[in-house]
Amino acid sequence: MKLAILYGTETGNAEMLAEDLQSALEADHEVSVANLSDIVPGDLDGETFYLVVCSTYGDGELPASAQPFGAALEAGEPDLSHVHFAIFGLGDSAYPDTYNGGSAVLAAALAQRGATMIGDRVTHDASGPDLAEDLALPWAEAAIAEAATRLGAAA
Amino acid sequence: MTRHVAIVGAGPSGCFLAQALLKARPDLAVDLIDRLPVPYGLVRYGVAADHQGTKAIARQFARLFERQGARFHGNVEIGRDVPLSALRAAYDAVVLAAGLSGDREPELAGLPLAGVHGAGALTRALYDHPDAGPLPDLGAHPLILGNGNVALDILRLLAKTPEELDGSDLGPRATRWLADSGIETLTIVGRSPAAQARFDPVMVRELGALKGVSITVEAAPPGADDAGEKVLAALAQIDGTATGPRRIAFRFGLTPAGVLGEGGRIVALTVTRPDGVAETLPCTALVTAIGFRGDGSLPTEDGPGLYKAGWFARGPRGTIPENRADAQDLALRILADLDAAPDAPGKSGAAVLDTCRDRVDYAGWGRIDAAELAAAPANRCRQKLDTRAAMLALACRTEETQP
Repeated sequence: MKLAILYGTETGNAEMLAEDLQSALEADHEVSVANLSDIVPGDLDGETFYLVVCSTYGDGELPASAQPFGAALEAGEPDLSHVHFAIFGLGDSAYPDTYNGGSAVLAAALAQRGATMIGDRVTHDASGPDLAEDLALPWAEAAIAEAATRLGAAA
Repeated sequence: MTRHVAIVGAGPSGCFLAQALLKARPDLAVDLIDRLPVPYGLVRYGVAADHQGTKAIARQFARLFERQGARFHGNVEIGRDVPLSALRAAYDAVVLAAGLSGDREPELAGLPLAGVHGAGALTRALYDHPDAGPLPDLGAHPLILGNGNVALDILRLLAKTPEELDGSDLGPRATRWLADSGIETLTIVGRSPAAQARFDPVMVRELGALKGVSITVEAAPPGADDAGEKVLAALAQIDGTATGPRRIAFRFGLTPAGVLGEGGRIVALTVTRPDGVAETLPCTALVTAIGFRGDGSLPTEDGPGLYKAGWFARGPRGTIPENRADAQDLALRILADLDAAPDAPGKSGAAVLDTCRDRVDYAGWGRIDAAELAAAPANRCRQKLDTRAAMLALACRTEETQP
């Protein structure tokens, strides 16, 4: 099972987290990293497990680098029923109404196209006491373990 | 041959530029120079004390120095300690990312008067900037002039109860000053109609969660674009908030005309309403948040190998991510220019800074940072050192002088 970390970022924090995850996971897995701005939904395949890291910007919206990808999903493009993903959100509870809206929007849009979400959406609060990587690494490891059984062949 | 890039100003734009340069070319020698002994500029001194989530981008910038090889040179003022010409001679590229530290001054008949304060100067005083003046007396009825996020930040800080500042890095002086402010009403006045206010809607809605305020928003005329509709919706949502006694009033479409004073101190702002009628708005102080300007210490013209970034380049508009995008574009331009001159003579880089006394390196900032975090009281995440002397005493302590 190949791993691909996809990130949607606005200020760079999600990109940094994606790189941290890659560093932590690459000893045991084949891991690529891509900005969501550099791919389209049709690029997603059924052999790769996708670890999505997505921040929130503006009014609970997708961050800039995820917006074209999100728009393509909204436009009803390809069937993603072969795709498995897990998603980790970055947000700031200083804005409670829209807290972690970006990752919620993206998870719903992927599911709408038939993709299967593995595990729960885990979120990090920039105003909270935790470091994002301290929450994201356990999230990734748990999701990878579950995906390995679901997708069949382990890495 | 190593190519050397100097970035003057270690704020968010300078740091994002260094990040983009080093990501593309890890072999570049990138030096971030700041006139303060501490890095991160507006992230430390401009982003509001109660927006610690926004300040978290400093973690990205720390990596610049800890993993990407950038070097920090604090307490170095280009133009005073090292001439810009000498810096340009020593580097393949010099980028001015010094920000805009001065407040744009309003053109109001009747100035100068005591009790009129620029938002930048007030923000620096609130956030323990070492060059800040004392915190002013705003009286019971301050008026804020401006319709951007800087005005909202000041409004929110002044409106908060002491408990609502828990978890911030607001210092003890500003904390006492706010607790004792005696502010009864806060009026925020914009020149444009509400639909054209440059408020971030989420920052407007943030006010609706305040614990001790009563908010009124002047009715807005219809006819807004999408962005305007979002601002209007956010304003409508907070209108009528009634959680406490401190009154907040939003007024729009008022063209400032002048100030009235008594005994040399402001007592009112005079404005003209959209219908042409003049109105006098009594106040005990006026905080102007109508933009920023440079202090004139650095040239604003480009030249060979000389670039500008951030607010210093684009003017005082644009959020942190907009300036990140700009910095990434500028990095591509600088790299293309460096590649276009492959045979340029070798440069000496940071050696030109060796004559600067009390220069602070990243390890020196690390000692300041650690001391500030360790000194934080229970309900604060940090207690900043607020003088250069205190910063330098920690940062410039060498192995020889350590006890």
